[in-house]
Order: sequence, then C-alpha cells, then structure tokens
Amino acid sequence: MGTYAGQVIGIPGRCRRVASRIALVVMNICVPVLMLLETLIGIAIFPLLLVVVRVATGWPLGKIMRYFVRLYGRIWLWTVSPFVRLRVTGGDPQRLARPTIYVVNHLSLFDIFFTSVMPVFDVVICLRSWPFKMLWFRPFMRLAEYMDVERLPWDQIERRVQRIFDEGRSIMLFPQGHRSRDGQLTRFYSGAFKLAIRFDVPIVPICIAGTDRLLPPGRRWMAPANVRVEWLDPIEPTAFQGELGHIELRKHVKDLMGACLARNQV
Amino acid sequence: MTDSEIIELINRSLINEFELDPGDMTPDTHLVEGLGFDSLDFVDVVVVLQQAFGVTLREEPRVREVRTLGDLHRLVIEKKRELESSKGA
Repeated sequence: MGTYAGQVIGIPGRCRRVASRIALVVMNICVPVLMLLETLIGIAIFPLLLVVVRVATGWPLGKIMRYFVRLYGRIWLWTVSPFVRLRVTGGDPQRLARPTIYVVNHLSLFDIFFTSVMPVFDVVICLRSWPFKMLWFRPFMRLAEYMDVERLPWDQIERRVQRIFDEGRSIMLFPQGHRSRDGQLTRFYSGAFKLAIRFDVPIVPICIAGTDRLLPPGRRWMAPANVRVEWLDPIEPTAFQGELGHIELRKHVKDLMGACLARNQV
Repeated sequence: MTDSEIIELINRSLINEFELDPGDMTPDTHLVEGLGFDSLDFVDVVVVLQQAFGVTLREEPRVREVRTLGDLHRLVIEKKRELESSKGA
C-alpha cells in the first residue's frame, strides 16, 4: 500500500499529529493556488489549443471541449495526488464503447473531477442549474454542450439526448441531484432511468467513495483522503419494461451502487 | 376501504416508490418543497396511485391543483369513492 503526504506512518504520537497538521495546511494552500493557476492558464491558452487540436484531429468543437474538460480534471487530480490516494477499478473499457448513460453518486464538489479517470471522454454531463452560474466555467460548459436539466423542459432534454446518442456519444448524470450530507446514498431521481428505457441504452454506474472526506458539503477546508472510483458493468434496460420499469431500474441500479460503495468504504 | 386505510396505502406506496422518509409524510407537506418531487415524479405519482387504487388520475384536471400531500389524499379518496359509487350504480 502506498502512502500520501497526509498519512504519516511510523512516526509516533505528537510528531505524527504535527506532521498531519502541516500536511493539512500545505494542502489547503497549494491545492487552491494550483487549481487557480490551472484555470487561468487553461483559459489563456485555450484558443490556441482549440485551433491546434481542431486542425490536428478535425473533431467538432464540442468534442474538443469535452476532451479539454477531461484534461483539466486529470491535471487537477495530479495537483491533489500528494494528498489523495486514488484507486480506480472497473470492468472492461471495451464495453463502454457505445452510447451509454453514466450515473454517478454524489458526495462532494470534487466528484466531477474524479470522473475524469474514466476511459471515455466524449460524454455530455447533465447538471442542475447552479454550476452554470459560475461565470468562469459557463462558456466552457456551453461549448462542451453540457445540459442544464433543471431548467430544460423534459421534451427538449429528450430531443437533445436523442441527438447525442445518434452521434454515438454518451451522457452522465448525478441521479441524487444533490450531494449527500451523511455519506449515504440519498434518493435517486428517475430521469436517467427513463432515458435509458426510452432510448434503449445501458446504464453504467460509477461509484465514488471517499470524496466526502476530501471536502464534504458545508466544510471549507480540504483534508487528505483515500478515494476509490469503480465503474460497474453496463446494465441493459430491456428487462425493465412497463409504465414503472424506470422505477424498478432505478432501484436495481441504486442497490448495486449501494453494495459497491459498501465494499469500497475507506 | 376506509379513508385512513386509503391514506395509509398512499403514503406507503409513495415511500416505497420514491424512497421518501416516513417522517415527512404529513398532510401539510408540500410535494415539491417538502418531498422534493420534480415534474417527472408527478407523472410517476399518477401511475403509482392508479395502479394501487384502480382509479383514473391521468386525465383528471384536479391533479393540477394538488400542492400538498393532504391535497393528494383528498383527491384519491374522492376518486376512490366515485369509482365505488359508479360500480354500485
């Protein structure tokens, strides 16, 4: 087992507490500063990178932006790596090659950064309205074609999702809607599961454990943490039909995620 | 089925299907602000209660006036009584 800066092993008693405090202070100074730098540098060089990647790959703008979002997430993960021990596990990445609905449990503001470890990047994230209020991120979220599912009417969401799947891309949702306050899975909303049945695409649950220790809701200070990310095998919606099939699918997925989080408790 | 049995079944169905906290199931609880229902949930509530009680709520205009759990209880009780009287007639 590896160690990280917040976990000082082999030093007894008081020295260990002092070392942990120092790690905490260093983390809370370094990580926000590096994140700010990453954001500012990213914004400054984005137009040039956009042109270069566009010429090199011929990708559409939205795909390029989603690629940069993942890159941003991975750089952020590198900046916290001295303080976060991350373990990533999951099924065969080849099984994620077709349009999919990723559903992620929600513990912390930083969960979205940890989704960047997934082996796919061309994923449109569906969010509530508040992230779109962050002016420095909003233009990039719009370019990445992220969806404000709190504001959009359901028929518009269906049309946009249809187009996304037709183009071979995937979507990602946080079915809890809000961060959990106690680390437990809270109520799941049905939207993701209705879409899975409506468009006959699989659900892939992504279970994130430990980010509530990194930065839980209501706390301003980060703390070193062990974080585990595990994606489960795709769940086909064909077995969940009928008027309330999406509710059965939702319950099934939630049970699987609950079991996954229980075995990944850190 | 008595009114209290209907209310009990409504609450139990909603708790089971929507993962609600039994402590929140009071008549004055607002469905949106108190139970966190969204527009998709309202569609599901109608289907769940139709299946539980055999009543037709989908085309019922009074559904749009439902704001609280108590409103929902009253509507289902009325529909259940209408169904029973139409069967008895």
